[in-house]
Amino acid sequence: MKRTIIAFIILLTLFTSCKKFLDVNNTPNNPISVTPAVQLPNTTIAIAFASSNDLDRVTSVLVQHTAGTLNQAQQYDRFDLASFFDNSWTGELYDGAISNLLLMIRNDTASPIYTGIAKLELAYAFSMVIDLWGDAPYSEAGQGLANLKPRFDKVQDIYQGNSSLGITSLFDLVRSGIADLNAGGGLYKPGGDDIVYGGNVGKWKRMGNSLLLKFAIQLTNVNPALATSVINEVLGSPDGYINNSGLDFAVPFSTTVGNQNPLFTFNNVNRASDQMLSQRLLTLMRGLNDTVRLAKFFTRPTGKFVAFDNGSTAAPPTQASRSRYNTYLTGDRSGEAASGKAGGGDSSVKLLTCFQVNFILAEAVVRLGITGDANAYYQAGIRASMQKVGIDTGAISNYFATNPTVVNLTGTTEQQIQQIITQKYIAWIGNGIEAYNDYRRTGYPVLALPQNTTGDDPNVIPTRLPYTNQELSRNPRAPNPRPLVDVKLWWAK
Amino acid sequence: MRKHHLPVCALLLLCTHLLFAQDRTISGKVLDPSGKPIPGASIIIKGTKTGTSSSADGSYSLHIPESASTLVISAVGWTNAEVAISGRSVITVTLSIKENTLSEVVVTSLGIVRDKRSLGYATQNLKGDQLADKGSVNLVNALEGKVSGVNITGASGSAGASVNINIRGITSFTKSNQPLFVVDGIPISNDVDRTNGGPNGTLGDNQPPNRALDLDLNNIESVNVLKGPAASALYGSRAAAGAIIITTRKGGGPGGRTEITANTSYSLQTAAGLPEVQNLYGQGLNGIYNPTTNNSWGPKFGTAPTAANNLAAATDYRAYPNNVKEFFETGHISDNNITISGGDPKQNFSISGSYLTQTGILPNTSVKRSTVRFAGNTVFRNKIKAGASMTFTNTLQNGILGGNGNSSLGVLWGMARSIDLTSYKKKGTYKNIDGTNNFPIPSTDNPYFGAYANPLTSNLYRILGNATIGYDFTPWLNVSYRLGIDAYNDRRKQIFAVSAARVPTGQVLENTIFRSEINGDLIITAHKSDVFIKGLDITGLLGQNINQRIFQSVQAQGDALAIPAYYNLNSATVFSVGTNETNTLQRLVGYYAQLSFAYKGYLYLELTGRADQSSTLPQSKNTYFYPSANAGFVFTDAFGITSDILSYGKLRASVAKVGSDAPPYLLQNTYAPGSYGNNVASFNFPLTTANGITAGFGNSTRIAPVTLAPEFTTAYEVGANVGLFKNRASIDVAYFNTVSRSQIFNVGISPSSGWNTMTINGGKMTNKGVELLINITPVLTRDLKWDISGNFTKIVNKVVFIAPGTDNFAIPGSAFTGSIPSIKIGYPYGVIIGGVIPRDSATGQRLINPSTGLYANVIANQVLSNPNPEYSLGFTNNVKYKSVSLGFTFDFTKGGQVLSFTSAAFKSRGAWAPTGVDREKPRILPGVIPVAGGKAVPNNIEISSQAYWQAMGGLQSEFNVYDATVFRLREVSLGYDLPASVIRSLHLNYVRLSVFANNVFYVAPNSIMDPELNTQGAGNIRGLDLQSAPNARTIGANLKVSL
Repeated sequence: MKRTIIAFIILLTLFTSCKKFLDVNNTPNNPISVTPAVQLPNTTIAIAFASSNDLDRVTSVLVQHTAGTLNQAQQYDRFDLASFFDNSWTGELYDGAISNLLLMIRNDTASPIYTGIAKLELAYAFSMVIDLWGDAPYSEAGQGLANLKPRFDKVQDIYQGNSSLGITSLFDLVRSGIADLNAGGGLYKPGGDDIVYGGNVGKWKRMGNSLLLKFAIQLTNVNPALATSVINEVLGSPDGYINNSGLDFAVPFSTTVGNQNPLFTFNNVNRASDQMLSQRLLTLMRGLNDTVRLAKFFTRPTGKFVAFDNGSTAAPPTQASRSRYNTYLTGDRSGEAASGKAGGGDSSVKLLTCFQVNFILAEAVVRLGITGDANAYYQAGIRASMQKVGIDTGAISNYFATNPTVVNLTGTTEQQIQQIITQKYIAWIGNGIEAYNDYRRTGYPVLALPQNTTGDDPNVIPTRLPYTNQELSRNPRAPNPRPLVDVKLWWAK
Repeated sequence: MRKHHLPVCALLLLCTHLLFAQDRTISGKVLDPSGKPIPGASIIIKGTKTGTSSSADGSYSLHIPESASTLVISAVGWTNAEVAISGRSVITVTLSIKENTLSEVVVTSLGIVRDKRSLGYATQNLKGDQLADKGSVNLVNALEGKVSGVNITGASGSAGASVNINIRGITSFTKSNQPLFVVDGIPISNDVDRTNGGPNGTLGDNQPPNRALDLDLNNIESVNVLKGPAASALYGSRAAAGAIIITTRKGGGPGGRTEITANTSYSLQTAAGLPEVQNLYGQGLNGIYNPTTNNSWGPKFGTAPTAANNLAAATDYRAYPNNVKEFFETGHISDNNITISGGDPKQNFSISGSYLTQTGILPNTSVKRSTVRFAGNTVFRNKIKAGASMTFTNTLQNGILGGNGNSSLGVLWGMARSIDLTSYKKKGTYKNIDGTNNFPIPSTDNPYFGAYANPLTSNLYRILGNATIGYDFTPWLNVSYRLGIDAYNDRRKQIFAVSAARVPTGQVLENTIFRSEINGDLIITAHKSDVFIKGLDITGLLGQNINQRIFQSVQAQGDALAIPAYYNLNSATVFSVGTNETNTLQRLVGYYAQLSFAYKGYLYLELTGRADQSSTLPQSKNTYFYPSANAGFVFTDAFGITSDILSYGKLRASVAKVGSDAPPYLLQNTYAPGSYGNNVASFNFPLTTANGITAGFGNSTRIAPVTLAPEFTTAYEVGANVGLFKNRASIDVAYFNTVSRSQIFNVGISPSSGWNTMTINGGKMTNKGVELLINITPVLTRDLKWDISGNFTKIVNKVVFIAPGTDNFAIPGSAFTGSIPSIKIGYPYGVIIGGVIPRDSATGQRLINPSTGLYANVIANQVLSNPNPEYSLGFTNNVKYKSVSLGFTFDFTKGGQVLSFTSAAFKSRGAWAPTGVDREKPRILPGVIPVAGGKAVPNNIEISSQAYWQAMGGLQSEFNVYDATVFRLREVSLGYDLPASVIRSLHLNYVRLSVFANNVFYVAPNSIMDPELNTQGAGNIRGLDLQSAPNARTIGANLKVSL
């Protein structure tokens, strides 16, 4: 009997409730809530990384800034685009920038400055998506479990708004962001965590207005009236726009490993054999006597430019001799040779710039009849670009003096637009997306087909990127079959 | 070393006890003729029902009344013995083999010893001597070819590389499908912990071991493979994929004497299965010499130097036919063990120490394993049994990185034929005076630089301990508690020298991995004979289990080394990348019951039920129950069939369900430091600029589910055991069908929802299979014994359903876009999805691009290869003539595919032998050219040899998918026992000398190399050779002395 009692007691002790014992499933590995001060740097980098990583590589070869010599860059050059860009669409844009910006906007209602900045960045991020892929989830995107099958909104609805479908236009999104910035105050205010403008609200408003200009000029083919009114709205705004290069919306990177600009890590660390200067860009720049500026964009390891023709199957030049992105794009490499270290990578990623705004305004004057001096804007654009890449004032003046046909708008409207877009195209070397947007909208500069093209349509330079496999396979509302890459976007020429 | 006093103290206690004893007690041991214990034997006082049974070590103790005079000892498979007590208190009995009974005792779940005939499910038992001293370092390797229903594939022949084992197929989408490893009733870790190989992560790391590597084969008494969920229902969740039950050696030999056994073995290893190379053409491209390429598309050796072929610039342009082969070294394995065991069946101990060193077939690779073990058992007051063992292991691994893209092997495979690689080793010139890489090919590590300058070291200390105490409340009721601890700490260091191609600025990575598992089982067993009716025995078991697992990995990564060759975190200037920690804690409480009925020794029925409560499931729904039932019917006994042809026959059937909880921490949405990009360019927060350091956090890519339920697998099994010709031949056949449902996995969701994946319960996967085990003893005489054992396994796995709208998803782990191991509806688990060349619908031929003569662009997201074999066979022969024994094992695997990056390198670099044949002749890729009208004409576009082979040399090309069918002479061993006369004169027990060879040869008709490689090692990703080490061939000798 005694034994049975002992046994019973042992049993009771061991079988007692273990609710507390089992309550150990709260993760110690990750935070479950964060403040906007750690969200903003992440979203800002996400946009810059998206702009300068794979999407830059594909657009740079498509606009023939660079030529692909190996791996994906070579495939892009030959229009073999299917099955790529999941990382960009998913990791960098929708699950990187967009979801986090929406989280900031939803959760940080008590901090209008952050909310305002988030709206401006969100508009920028969505514009990257729709300018490259076309129709895309927008009004229903980034809602998590609440909507696992976001609708693909039309590009025109996203640009212009469509109240019947509940779609806020990109313009209104920016305006709402500027309104939040004007409201100011609130619980949290950005400072050093705002890695671009250091918490300066005035600079963000200029960024917002410049973003309106960028969006407006994209509509010249399809809604010039709206474009005109938005540009006039910005020109009349007391907040101003990016009117000197010091105000550029350029996201900083650093020389620290893991913090380097992807143009550097790709071209100088991990994939040095994949892309190099396009022969076609070299020819263009030689024709414009603009090789001094080209040398700021591309290296000359052997003392001369060594380029490669887009799509060629010829053996590329030896890696050591190739002209590849120079320090303006890949960062400071001073001392690199001496230390043997692959330093650099601290060049900023330029997203909205003074030269861009000047070229937009020049085009707006020429094309839309906006009040202003087109030639002055045009020259300011060229000058801003040359200064930005590091050409000294004397050399710039010299270039202007010796190349009057280049630096002065002449001829028909169309010829003037060609001049403007060609200069904008040169200034945007290193940001293929902007050059690609302008090329598809205006057809300038005139580009010949690369060699050995394949893909959806070997005879047309792709006018959009193919939807990514992940989105196609997981979202039943994605257009299926996907539009081929020769189907023009709404705003394209 | 205080521990070895324990049995002595215990013995003293016992003596004291005996002086005051009122009851008379006898104890002893039941042994087989070779002195090995017979567990589960029944010891009954003649003429009564009073009795007991022997424990795992063969020992027993029994109260007897004064009147008792004789014991009847019986055990299944052995002849009964009657022994007169004659006033003795210690009686050791030796039983002889009963020839016409097929039976075997096995250790099943929870360490319960069972008569195999009573089991309604399949198990397979292997003795320690079938595993040890055969040239295997890892237990799982030693099982290869010997067990039915099991697939085993090693990662490679690299020292310490892990070995994958799946029992009866794969049953879980994303959880581990490795069986649970149990040592003396205690579950242990067989995890594979991976450390990133620089930016290539685990796609280019050293091949780490599965932690069963830490088990010393010398200490293993037996291994029992529990195959289905029925067999392992009592281990619950953890054994959903089967269990490997390991019983270690115990002390207490016959006659209570102390035995000392010394074992030493030494073996040599060489690399095996390398592709054939050409030696006609050297470094260059398009027929032009180029000293900065690793390709062999240069001019033919002996060509006159011209400016056009650039040979004018070459010095010493000739073939180095062995430059790849000579990179591999002769490996050495030395294994020494000494075991001292003693005591009697009640009080016994065993002490052993082992030291194994292995230097690998790759330069600068090694494994060193030291093991110290102590085990002791005691019985006091005749009612309390206590035992404990403690094993302390130190395992060191020195490894080098693999994978394509600047690992030693990635550069070596297909190396240009005119590179004099060996001279770099001989002269030590693989690095410059300043310690940097020296190799003529830019951004490429000299393979020796990769091996010596970028190594990984792992230093692991592991403690494995258990203690058991049991108390017989009454002769029919026993309560016992068993507590076990398995804990290890693995300190790893990965170095990248400054100038290493993967991390040019140098890196020091310190990674400390800690795992611990504490497991406690309370087990109450009751046994009654002749319940209700005569001949019906009932055994009941009630148990409770507590299990806690902790994992921690702390990683400190220092980049951009300020002082080259000073590999300390102090040397680093950047710490913001890769520095992190991961912790997990999970707990489980389980309650289980088992009820076994045995009727007259021929009809068996067993019911089990288990309820688990897991910390990883939502608190309100964290309890789940799963039952099993199995039955066995020995029809030969039931119907009294006594035949010399059909000696034994049993039919069995089982149905079992097993539940499995979730990994920890899936129920919360979290944020993580922002990181973007992949191996070509990446960014990781925090951001360090001149303005300071900025943190950045973003939402995790996975969104948490609203709720989560456990996974369930249901298994149905029918089988038969048949003994023929007085049991000289036996057949064990099983058919099984398992259905896995409610799988926990992250399903891809529309990325535009803002998250990439969501954890759900869903999916359905089935495994149907047949397994067959045949044992035949064609010859059995006094001097000659010949045993043949054959096994056959065929498993068909099918993914039936994933989630609405999901056709496939990637198996968690690292993968290259373009060759992603996946779970795809309608296919077996683990198919590799990538790009496939489109084919003409009419002819089925591959399409050619008419403008290039090369293949058309691949169609993405197609099934590229299937790693699952169709079937496998194993065949073992053991012939023993007097004191000489010869054994060999063949195995054959039919089907299954491997995607080989190694093969791709040999082709695209122009190093594989066929690439040197008729190289000057233009070639035409087999295929058709689409023409107008939807037709196609045969390809007639001539291209160069280089273009031809490179068209087939893409890493992820379907041309590098190989049928992995392979026939292999797995193992050969020849043993010799010194004659008894010699032994006696030397005062020894026995001396055994053996020689063995492992992986002796293979025939793989459809592969350019040994296809049995699995770079990612133990885990759910299979069938990839990502330019890893080749397999090793081992030959060696072993000497075992017992005194």
